[in-house]
Amino acid sequence: MRQMVKQMGFVFNVDLCFGCMACEIACRNENQTDSTVRWRKVSRLTDDTFLSVSCNHCNSPECFRVCPENAFTKRGDGIVQINSDLCTGCGLCIEACPYGAPQYDPVTQKASKCQMCYPRQDRGLPPACVESCSTEALTFVDLNTFCDKKIVGSIPGFPDTRLTNPSIAFYPATERKRYFLK
Amino acid sequence: MEIYRHACPRNCFSTCGMLSYIEDGKLVKVSGDAKHGYNQGRLCAKGYAYTQYVYNPYRLKHPIRQTPRGSGNWKRITWEEAYDCIADKILELNERYGSNLASGYNKFSGNIGLLHYAVEGMFNSIGPHTKPVGNPCLITGEQAMRKSFGQMNRMMPEKMAEMNAIVIWGANPAVTNVHQMKFILQARQKGAKLIVIDPIFTRTAATADIFIQINPGTDRWLALGVAKLLIESNMYDEEFVRNQTVNWEEFHQYVTEQVDLHEVCRETGISLDVLCELLSIYSMPKPCATWIGFGIQRNENGGQNISAINTLAMLGCQSGQENRCVYYSHSGIDDFPVNLLNHEGPVHPIVQHSREIDINNFAENASKLVEPPLKFLWIALRNPLSQDQDFQAWESLMKELELIVTVDLFMTKTAEMSDLVLPAASHFEEMDVNVSYWHHWLSINEKAISPYYEAKSDLQIARELMEKLNERFPGFSNFPSEREPIDWIREELTPSVKKLYSIESIDDLLESPRLRGEEGKNLSSSAFKFRLFSEENTDTSTYSMNREKTDVEESYPFQLLTPQSLLKIHSQYEAMPWLNQGAEQAVVELSEYAAEKRGILEGDKVELFNPNGKIAAIARISRFLPQKVILVNQAGKNPINRLIAHKPQENPGKSSMNFYDSSVNIRKWCETNG
Repeated sequence: MRQMVKQMGFVFNVDLCFGCMACEIACRNENQTDSTVRWRKVSRLTDDTFLSVSCNHCNSPECFRVCPENAFTKRGDGIVQINSDLCTGCGLCIEACPYGAPQYDPVTQKASKCQMCYPRQDRGLPPACVESCSTEALTFVDLNTFCDKKIVGSIPGFPDTRLTNPSIAFYPATERKRYFLK
Repeated sequence: MEIYRHACPRNCFSTCGMLSYIEDGKLVKVSGDAKHGYNQGRLCAKGYAYTQYVYNPYRLKHPIRQTPRGSGNWKRITWEEAYDCIADKILELNERYGSNLASGYNKFSGNIGLLHYAVEGMFNSIGPHTKPVGNPCLITGEQAMRKSFGQMNRMMPEKMAEMNAIVIWGANPAVTNVHQMKFILQARQKGAKLIVIDPIFTRTAATADIFIQINPGTDRWLALGVAKLLIESNMYDEEFVRNQTVNWEEFHQYVTEQVDLHEVCRETGISLDVLCELLSIYSMPKPCATWIGFGIQRNENGGQNISAINTLAMLGCQSGQENRCVYYSHSGIDDFPVNLLNHEGPVHPIVQHSREIDINNFAENASKLVEPPLKFLWIALRNPLSQDQDFQAWESLMKELELIVTVDLFMTKTAEMSDLVLPAASHFEEMDVNVSYWHHWLSINEKAISPYYEAKSDLQIARELMEKLNERFPGFSNFPSEREPIDWIREELTPSVKKLYSIESIDDLLESPRLRGEEGKNLSSSAFKFRLFSEENTDTSTYSMNREKTDVEESYPFQLLTPQSLLKIHSQYEAMPWLNQGAEQAVVELSEYAAEKRGILEGDKVELFNPNGKIAAIARISRFLPQKVILVNQAGKNPINRLIAHKPQENPGKSSMNFYDSSVNIRKWCETNG
């Protein structure tokens, strides 16, 4: 895929996330998605860490590749969009995505997914999930220009990134001391 | 699109500033209010689900009546019919008994906006009646804080961000006070250490640099043990002790003679090297915050636990007491007249006062009332059949009641057992003003949308019902029904409140929430005297470290803990599919030890039981739970509080409910058990 002018992506700081799920519900509040549709998902990564993940707006999106209707497009800022007019709800993208990003919507009978709140971004606002994150565990940057030696491309528990080259970066967890009762 | 300003009115630390987005009279979205300095433009998961709360298919639309009670045979009635039915009963009871003492209410924290004291105001306005007193939640701790410090501390929680260490005892802000976490993690990012002490490996504990697991209810031993180490190693603040404590010698003697470190380790389950780790935190000559959670005081030693932790926090840190902060709660409401709560009703020729019942033992005490017995009960902002204790007492009380009215937004367990249920407005549908019991911000709550169907606010119901009573019996109530919500709010903004919050009028609050100014005096003033831990100011001096096992402990060897869960507050938010979908089945968390002893596997259906009853649940086995602790979420279809019943407390109205002093047993579910 050609190099985008920009590649907007999420940066997730494992140390700052405590699994409050504000981002997941803020996404629903913004997009008023059906109760079964989870564009963003918060889950437990390890005993003491959480992961918040949505569509990663990959550099090589599998959804894009497998869709028979060519319903997916990638914008100049790297956001992967789905055109619901073209989607037939065949579910190939749902099976193909390593991150579970496209979701089957039983109401529209089509796939839908995180579009990184591009209408908000076009108005200069951050995505709803980023705005909701009280500790700034979840931020978003242009990964083409973002540079920080502390970030890593993946963390244990995150799906294999080699296939799709997702637009997400991580600050890994720091070491913690635990004194459990014997 | 119209935008309105709100305050989230839940019984929660954060009391968030909130904005609503209204299109064609409908709430389409919410957001945090960026002008609110505590939540800073963000909400929690529950807050972001408010569109589902307001337009929830399970929300009550109309007044309804059930005959007979508990049958589920509900019929829609008009508000007129509802008011007539209630007024009939109040007037008839008044005639029968010569006063309104047979009429009473039970109300707590379903909405903590100041105008929701309309319930109290309404009952006050008919003269002496039967009312609850006390506080199930946090009053034990408040009493202990006042004993230690002489007053409630007034530290701004935002200041936690500037600390070098934060020690959290028995609080779980990652679940119950999400917005505090940013201040904590800001400090942590600047190099502060976060230490969490808790029997449960909570989400907050997971975030901590150091997690110390402790046997439940034994916090005072840990605090006294570390205090002993501080004193023995001469790392305490001698100047503070000399100038600003009142009972140093007594305390010193107590710690020297009575606190044995081996016993401390045995009682708390914590080893000496971990005590030393805590010593190094508390002896650090840098700002250190101690946060005492409400969980600490949900047992019979609550007051002692808090007194001991306060003592440790104040002794340590040699560089002066301005570096020591102890957080518990903020009594923001004390600045306000709270006119509805304090509304003075008409004088009765014979009965001088209302009858007061400890809210923590309401049902049992109410059942015992005679001359007259309690016959009419109004329940608002509360769901006792899910959240109170001693359901059996509630069940027998209800048999004696001739009329039960519940005001709520949803068909709660309590509403199901009422005769009349009146639909309550959400905070988007009424005006209010809110302060927090944690942070120092004052917020207005605007009315953004018309009430959902026929829902009404507690204040509106009070206005109309009292008017109805006066039509039937002129002068029966002195409730000022003509007064609008905004009039009540204006009266709350007294000259001293305006000064404290730097506002001139209500318009300033419509522009932005306002921060309470800091008073000049603080803990470093020379007048301040601190009371160190002493046995005489403890609740139960007979408490022994080596308790003998009683029969109850043999038969019900597990301690039941029922903390808050992330996506509910008590029994609120259960009906939001975004939050609690598929959470129908109760889940019980048990230790690997308990699972092995009882032959229980992950996912098994189990039965939790004690003499108060039993509940069925699905087993989840936790590697991190203390061996003899069982954890169950509150509320649900078969609320866990059915297993909680406590003896009357010694200080009515002055102690919180000891929810965590409950013992249970567990076994695999067997149909024949049922």
